[in-house]
Amino acid sequence: MRKSAIYKYLVFLGILLIYPLFSNSSWLAIGTTFIIYSIVALSQDIVLGKAGMFDMGHAMFFGIGAYISAIMNTVFNIPILWAIPVVVLISAIISVLMAMPTIHLRGDYLLVVTIGFNIIFQQVIKNNVFGLTGGPNGIFGIERPSLFGFEFSSDLSVYYLAFFVLILILIMIKNLETSAVGRAFHYLRLDNLAAQCVGINTRFYRLFAFALGASIASIAGVLFAIQYTVISPESFNLMQSILFFTIVIVGGMSSIPGVLLGTFLMFVLPEIFRDFNTYRYLVFGVMMILTMILRPRGIIPKKFGIIPKYLLKDK
Amino acid sequence: MYIFIQQVINGLTIGSIFALIALGYTMVYGTMKFINFAHGDLVALSAFVGLTIYTTVVSSFSNSIIAILISLIITIVIISIIGYLLERIAYRPLRKAPRLSAVVSALGAGMVFQNAIMLIWGPNPHYYPADIIPNKIWHFGDSVISLIQILILLLSFFIMIGLYILVNKTRTGRAIRAAAINQDAARLMGINVDAIIVIIFALGSTLGAVGGMFLGMFYRGITFNMGWNYGISAFVAAIIGGIGNIPGAMLGGIFLGLFNSLIAGYISSTWADAFTYILLILILIFKPTGILGERVAEKV
Amino acid sequence: MKKKITGSLMLLMVLALIIPIGLNAKVVKIGVQAPITGKYANEGQGIDQAVRLIVEQKNAQGGLLGNKIEVISEDDEGTAVKAAFAAKNLINKKVMAVIGSYTSTCAAAPQKMYYKAGVLQTSDGTSDALTKHAYWTFFRNSNPNSAEAIFTANHFINQRHYKKVAILSDYSSFAVGLGDAVKKEIEKLGGDVVYYGKIKAGNQNFTPILTKIKSLHPDVIYFSGYYSDGGLLRSQQVQLDIKADFYGGDANDNVDFVKLAGSAASGSYLINVPTPSLLPYDDAKKFLADYEKKYGMKIPSIWTILNVDGLRAIMYAAEQTNSLDTKVIADFLHNMKKPFPGFTGPLSWDKKGERIGSSYFAYEIQPDNSYKVISK
Repeated sequence: MRKSAIYKYLVFLGILLIYPLFSNSSWLAIGTTFIIYSIVALSQDIVLGKAGMFDMGHAMFFGIGAYISAIMNTVFNIPILWAIPVVVLISAIISVLMAMPTIHLRGDYLLVVTIGFNIIFQQVIKNNVFGLTGGPNGIFGIERPSLFGFEFSSDLSVYYLAFFVLILILIMIKNLETSAVGRAFHYLRLDNLAAQCVGINTRFYRLFAFALGASIASIAGVLFAIQYTVISPESFNLMQSILFFTIVIVGGMSSIPGVLLGTFLMFVLPEIFRDFNTYRYLVFGVMMILTMILRPRGIIPKKFGIIPKYLLKDK
Repeated sequence: MYIFIQQVINGLTIGSIFALIALGYTMVYGTMKFINFAHGDLVALSAFVGLTIYTTVVSSFSNSIIAILISLIITIVIISIIGYLLERIAYRPLRKAPRLSAVVSALGAGMVFQNAIMLIWGPNPHYYPADIIPNKIWHFGDSVISLIQILILLLSFFIMIGLYILVNKTRTGRAIRAAAINQDAARLMGINVDAIIVIIFALGSTLGAVGGMFLGMFYRGITFNMGWNYGISAFVAAIIGGIGNIPGAMLGGIFLGLFNSLIAGYISSTWADAFTYILLILILIFKPTGILGERVAEKV
Repeated sequence: MKKKITGSLMLLMVLALIIPIGLNAKVVKIGVQAPITGKYANEGQGIDQAVRLIVEQKNAQGGLLGNKIEVISEDDEGTAVKAAFAAKNLINKKVMAVIGSYTSTCAAAPQKMYYKAGVLQTSDGTSDALTKHAYWTFFRNSNPNSAEAIFTANHFINQRHYKKVAILSDYSSFAVGLGDAVKKEIEKLGGDVVYYGKIKAGNQNFTPILTKIKSLHPDVIYFSGYYSDGGLLRSQQVQLDIKADFYGGDANDNVDFVKLAGSAASGSYLINVPTPSLLPYDDAKKFLADYEKKYGMKIPSIWTILNVDGLRAIMYAAEQTNSLDTKVIADFLHNMKKPFPGFTGPLSWDKKGERIGSSYFAYEIQPDNSYKVISK
């Protein structure tokens, strides 16, 4: 990683570190949710941005994480942090089972399939299967965790818990980018056929990207359950999936700063302009169109080494 | 038995509206290779525009059917112009951009439409007058069919026949098909592809406007966020039929309408959505290009 | 030197800005948490406007214990997450009490936050879950689902002598709760629930499920969801020529129900606490007239007035105890000897914050769209 890039990340993390000093409790809650949404958006980016698979149902894995941890906590009284390994495992398995028969589908068809899975997931939790998901009410009374005797009962401690997880995820994604897996993702996004020809097992890497993205999103789901202690179906519906999808495209596919900025623009900005209730989403839609026209590759597009301009023209 | 016939009538009615809207998705996809997510909200907009025009012109006509036809025509003109502007402003600058940029632009445009409706007409539902079509029903056996259902079925049928003739038997239609297969080659053959795309958006908007007004007349209540629901269903219908394929969208719409009715009627209404999407996923797994196959040249 | 003068001038200006705020510190803040935009904007805006009217009238009479009342509104858009944000904002702005929200989900989501902050909350949410925790800060100003279900079952089985009942709800927590409760009570009285299903709110095409219901030949179709779907259900029921009575639960009692159902509205039934226009009390009638005069529209529904009653009871308690301490007010409301005469009837609460006593009506909608009371 170049030095200047490291500084930029340190500045970003530094701002997040001291942010709670300058915010009241409602802005602290928005800050925590911003971090959680950033994690989901980063995981969406692994599937959509890095591996190039059109996934428009990612909120489902976010929801699976939240729901499984909430059920384990409220029904079986398991401390919620202990749920994380189970959550990661289950969502990875579900994502692989889902992706196995559908992963070969091209672009937009995969997009439709993932939308379909998200809608099926919604109906499952709304119908209160096995009496576990609480139906449309969702699940109430999730207990906040404690670790080595420290209780994460205050909102501030939850903020820093989320912040800590974000740092881990960022380090992991940075490592992924420079690893063989990251390069494989890169090739299969650019040209599936060519990737196959140079000996990349495209099917394996596609499934792997899906499972990885799903697992990270489900961890964010656990954090979401910890923050709100109440979860309900509408936090994981298709609109949310579209939000995460849009964050990645608007910010810049496969670009970490882009995804973080995208999360800020798509989630925090509407909160700042709460007072303009009725107009804000209209302006928001116009901004989305303008952003795409002016920056079709996203606001902070990813630069891959030194590639001549003419090679970047299409795709 | 009458229950089955009734469900078929129900399914055909909603299915033909799905088909009209699905055609808008499929024609745009066929030539531009991207999902026009704003189409559903355009349909909602036409329901509102149609109602406003109807309430202004109705007093000048003695017959409400004539008033409806007049407002339908005016609505079609207005919505076609808006469809053209949508293409010109939000999509044309993105022709050469990555495909997903156009998708996000479409999502943004949908958001603009939805919120514009809310700002102009307010957040509360609006209602088509109850007497807009005489409330007449016919019995055969224990099944019933209403006048509005017959009108919707007949009009949709004729519109789709007309569209089929236009696309398959005319010069313009040949140009549309050529542009769908390969834009560059079509351009080399002297086809004005930009003009064809404008025609496609105008046609799609026209069909959407008809669908929107049918929804208003059939269900009466229209809300600013209704477009999304119908948009996603119609889009699924287009995929089931084979995206880019015009007869496919018609078939897909009818099929989806029937499937929804029969599932809700015979299996479970609480799981109807899940069944619909499981069916969609199964179709795509076993026939990845839809029932009639897609008509889209691979973009390489 | 120049700098010093500018500096002291600045200081003076800042002080001038701060001091008046300090002098006006005696302001009692009342929060409104309601769906001001979104699906239930109609109801949310009604609650907001009605609360502002009551406060305006109270301020004209000299305010609460001599303090001016200020209303702060936060939009929860009818979703749980936004409700949590809205509640945080209200707590930060140090409101004494919160009126709302309209839906049970949005009232339940921030309930614990208000409890921890010691902020009083009064909501019309009817879900039984709202009083489960018995938070001392919570006061339901309506009656819970279970009370409505008991009335409905008794009316169906003992007064109308229905044998076969079909029940529909949507997926909202409120409608499912009410639907479940009605099913349980009807079965308790020996009625036969031939069908119990859910519709997707906003779906509009209910003909498949209604055709299914037609094949079961019920005597009555009961819908526990909201008017925006109820009106359509009724209209499509008539279109499909299904000869069963149609009953809507309380959330169908909205002027838009009639608009949606069109000519089919006539002959359908609603079950609810008295509608605004049927309230027998003079001060209630005066309030309705004031509201219509000020905003140029009718009050959207009884829910608005129930919420207003919650606010009025809290103000009454503050005056009786001569205190603005929420704990003192809550204690008073929990132990009232004599109920407070509200617009919607006498108000008093048990220890869980459940409103004591209930009065439900069953109405038949007449061809001129007026209501005829058929059972009290």
